[in-house]
Amino acid sequence: MSLAVEIAALIAALTAGILIAAILDEGCRAWVAGRGRVSPLAPLRVAAAHLLRQRLSTEAPDRMTWFLAIAGYLALAATGLALVPIGPNTALLGLNSGVVLWGACEALVVVVVFLHGWSPNAPLALIGAYRYVAIGLPIMLLSMFVLIAAALPARSLDLREIVTSQAGLWNVIRQPLGLPLFLFLGLSLTLRGPFDYADSSDLAGGTSSEDSGANRAGWQIARLAMLTGFSAVAASAFLGGYLGPVLPGLIWLILKTLVVMVVIIALTHLLARMPAARMLTLIWTVLLPLSFAHLLWAGLEALS
Amino acid sequence: MGMSWITRLAKQAPVPVFVAIVDDAPVDMARLALHPDLSLVDSPRAAAILLVAGTLPDALMPHLQRLHDQLPHPRATVQWQSSRVGGLSDASISVSRDDDIVAALKEIRDALMSGARQSEPDLLPDVPPNEWRGVGPHGQGGKGMMGGTPYGRPMAKRAEDIRDGLKLDAYTADLGPFLPMFPPGLMLRLSLQGDVIQTVGVTHPPFDCDWDQGAAMLRLLGLPALGERSLRPKSQDDLALTRLIRFSGCRRAIPPGLGRTRDGSDVRDRFARLMAAPVDPIIPDIGETTLGDLLVGCEWHEAMLVLNSFDSGSLRRLCAYTSARDKQSGTDTQEHGAHDPHAGHTT
Repeated sequence: MSLAVEIAALIAALTAGILIAAILDEGCRAWVAGRGRVSPLAPLRVAAAHLLRQRLSTEAPDRMTWFLAIAGYLALAATGLALVPIGPNTALLGLNSGVVLWGACEALVVVVVFLHGWSPNAPLALIGAYRYVAIGLPIMLLSMFVLIAAALPARSLDLREIVTSQAGLWNVIRQPLGLPLFLFLGLSLTLRGPFDYADSSDLAGGTSSEDSGANRAGWQIARLAMLTGFSAVAASAFLGGYLGPVLPGLIWLILKTLVVMVVIIALTHLLARMPAARMLTLIWTVLLPLSFAHLLWAGLEALS
Repeated sequence: MGMSWITRLAKQAPVPVFVAIVDDAPVDMARLALHPDLSLVDSPRAAAILLVAGTLPDALMPHLQRLHDQLPHPRATVQWQSSRVGGLSDASISVSRDDDIVAALKEIRDALMSGARQSEPDLLPDVPPNEWRGVGPHGQGGKGMMGGTPYGRPMAKRAEDIRDGLKLDAYTADLGPFLPMFPPGLMLRLSLQGDVIQTVGVTHPPFDCDWDQGAAMLRLLGLPALGERSLRPKSQDDLALTRLIRFSGCRRAIPPGLGRTRDGSDVRDRFARLMAAPVDPIIPDIGETTLGDLLVGCEWHEAMLVLNSFDSGSLRRLCAYTSARDKQSGTDTQEHGAHDPHAGHTT
């Protein structure tokens, strides 16, 4: 495949992922809210309405980082998706250290979300940005433990090897704590539900409270893109990615990605968010020790 | 040609409305929140129409004008069941009690999109709220990069932190009276370090009106869909709702002991009674508690939970004690702010 075709395929996959995620999110929200049926076109209509409105500026904003935050978030989501193997030894971005690159993407999400809150020069947006960083740091630690544990049976940091190593037994069964802990990271990376400390409604939208017009549409699209990228990575690291009987590998990968996506969306609308200080205590005293025990378990299991 | 299909698509979207709730706001606000053709947004930046529900007192008019100018073009103002004339855009539309508010809002939005209706111009001049009073290379007025009051706003300065001793920039601003997470009408002068509240003063007490406290609490806890569901008629008999609220863990999400009043009830207790069927709100014994006693040291999210856990009567009493105490100790909020410390952030 030539590079142009590969990039076009990536963009097409990401666009499809964003659309499906938006429809699932709208549908799940309507279901929980006890609303009637929603049209699959609803997210497109809202996006179109945003695009037709003016892109307002604030007093003395940092325009460059405002744009970079949105573009960067999208780029990080695309990078995550490109790392996902779609068949044996086939990935758009086949790297020996794929997990390390994904870890870098996770860490950079903290940076772009902070920049998004910093740029408008407004208090509520900045509070969201700071709060996200405070929660983001321990969540990244958790994610590192979980990903290293997933890499242990494969004896490789290559996402392709990690999928291959699950041919006998998926990581979700071999390391039962891995996927649940990783889902918390997913909620945090996509600013959702119980881990939405950046864009929550107690801050009138937090980092996106000053976004209007195309900026608002762009940021929401980037969040959905990250949900797509994350779901595909999680499906590969814990659900065996493209592995599966009868159906072609790509179909399996898509199905598993959708499963992860639906779970994340359901958790968004069904789990309450606690104040940040309480969440920090929970992460440092419960989730991180748990993830370390999980790593220890995976290590001992790999040795035996 | 390209624009026409996108306009057609956009016209089918729900009308994004930012509601400024006023004293005598119409009681059927819940109906608006539930209407599929409307979307009540958290920020004026996301809205096409500013809906003023009720008659605004003159004192708050400047804040509404600033809010108005934060809506992106094309925009319009609708006054719903309001007896006010003047103050807002000449082009603003009045909708009376008998008219269908939803149909009116849709019609206005469509006219804005097709260009049949002109977008409203700014009400205030696009200039800083205070004069440039600075000295030094950046006009900041203080030494180096610190201190001073550029454009009449004090620069954030490091101050003692009451929680962990880590010195951070303290930031003082007037927040409200139309913030979606504040009880309607409440306007506070808050000093914040990061998101921790250091001092509280009352600039304007909340209106004496009921608002959907249960739904507001659920939204604050990150459950907007359940909040919407709780607004539905007959939600009292909705067993699935009760179950979903229990499984969401929202009671446990609220820190124990938060916002405890003299009668011993805390936010958890008050939340539980709001979620009970039938709703059985606690009217707490305020005693001479001030907002400062309840909010100082809380982080932002906790403070919002505390504020929304009170009914408007209790909250008004809290605000009255807070103002009285401030007057006694000579730190009247009106005095130490000869200038408007933060005009422009009344989102």
